[in-house]
Amino acid sequence: MSSVGCNEFVAQMGSWMEGEREPAAQAHLAHCEACRSLAADIDAIQSAAPTLSVADPEPPARVWAALRAQLVQEGLIREALPPPKGERQPWLAALFTQLPRPALAGACLALLIAVGFGIRGPVSQWTSRAPAFPLSAQLDTAEQTTVSSFAGSNSAVSASLHQNLEIVDHYIALCEKSVRDEPQNDAAREYLYDAYQQKADLIDMITERGDSIQ
Amino acid sequence: MKTQLMRPHSSFLQTFHRRFTPVESLRASLGTRRRIALRTSGVIIAGLLVCSTALADHIEKNFKVEAHPVITLHNPNGSVTVKAWTKPEVSVIATRASDQVEVDATQTGNRVDIMTHPVASGAPPDGLRTDFEVRVPEDAELQIHDDSGAVTVNSVLGDMNVETVGAGVDLADAAGYLTVKTIDGPFQCVRCAGRIEVSSISGSLRMVDLRSYQVRAQTSKGNILFSGEFLPNGMYELKNYSGVIEVRFSPGDSFDLSATSLKGTVNNEAKLSPPTHQQHFYSKFNNSLFGSFNSGRARVELSSFDGTINILKRN
Repeated sequence: MSSVGCNEFVAQMGSWMEGEREPAAQAHLAHCEACRSLAADIDAIQSAAPTLSVADPEPPARVWAALRAQLVQEGLIREALPPPKGERQPWLAALFTQLPRPALAGACLALLIAVGFGIRGPVSQWTSRAPAFPLSAQLDTAEQTTVSSFAGSNSAVSASLHQNLEIVDHYIALCEKSVRDEPQNDAAREYLYDAYQQKADLIDMITERGDSIQ
Repeated sequence: MKTQLMRPHSSFLQTFHRRFTPVESLRASLGTRRRIALRTSGVIIAGLLVCSTALADHIEKNFKVEAHPVITLHNPNGSVTVKAWTKPEVSVIATRASDQVEVDATQTGNRVDIMTHPVASGAPPDGLRTDFEVRVPEDAELQIHDDSGAVTVNSVLGDMNVETVGAGVDLADAAGYLTVKTIDGPFQCVRCAGRIEVSSISGSLRMVDLRSYQVRAQTSKGNILFSGEFLPNGMYELKNYSGVIEVRFSPGDSFDLSATSLKGTVNNEAKLSPPTHQQHFYSKFNNSLFGSFNSGRARVELSSFDGTINILKRN
């Protein structure tokens, strides 16, 4: 039985991950520690991957608690009184109401998008989730907060930013419709997340301008 | 070293008198009505000269730098023109629309920071306009921020980061790692090399005679034109939501092509063979085209949401 070299083994990694364990590749692993270690890592990642997709679109409470504690400690947000009984604000909306200055919104949106990408699981989870587009709703909340803080500016730049925000909103609506109509269409989902990212970047830019004119 | 750039003393009055004297002598030989007309026009001319001198002033400053200097320029309103020269020096010429805006230039080691800022709040945007002409060494690294106006850079070979809102970005003979971000300003790059990353929301992107090994261009609403060489092992990713993506190829090019428009169309003039290097998955939802042109040495990925993709022969 002939063995393969390291380069050939790495080149065959795609098949290896799909479960094709050629005898020659296995023979190579028997005497190559580096490739054995690589294969073990890949197997570990592959077996852990399914558990990384969670059904809950919100990050775990402990993550938010830790983030919040850190922000309070650094004086970036204040401890707020708990909302009245029966009223529950979305976690992101609550964060935005406490931010002392809008520039932090961008950082939080980046976190939001990261979480959004993190929760991208199998299509079945995407379609069964309710509401269908939680990121969209959260971004809208962020937009309202940010745009109202920028209302004082009347420059051409401000008009351009808002006009482009409308353009991105238009694409978000198109992509959401596309994902709704064709839930199996991965490319449409990718476009949707790109549009979310663009909106987050734009809101970030608007908050920066808002900061500079205050 | 922080320098507040000051307006040089104006010799306007002397210039004005020199220009006005022939008008005065001519006036003596004319009738009353013509005299009044001339007097009026003289006042207008004088007023215009006073205004132009008072409103737009010229500021110049030079900085000695070493190899690979970093130049940052923050100018929210106005044009920025940067050209390379062979001197180890950075020259900054600023033209202010009014004294409601200040220009600060700071040198820290091998870094020159140039910035404009309003003197007081509430100034009209036209009064805050400042146009820059900057000369830098060829190997300079540039970081430019210009919301509205235009950014033009010629023959600078260092890395470059340009961010604008409405300002167009026009690069020529640039190299290095170029990152450009606009909101609705158009982008053009002619004879550029190195690595290019450009993104916009509604600006169109035009890349002509490129020799870049890595290009990533994305715009939502704008068109994208790529007409350049596909270098071996190069990676070319062009993406938009709507609009036209046009790629021009020549018979000697060699690339692996993936072109997908989810809701739009793909038009192709290249004779493609089955892809040599990559596996592609055809989707029933999209209009896709995959294949290799010649031996497929570069990788070209074109994608649009509902736009048109044209892969055309270069003339």
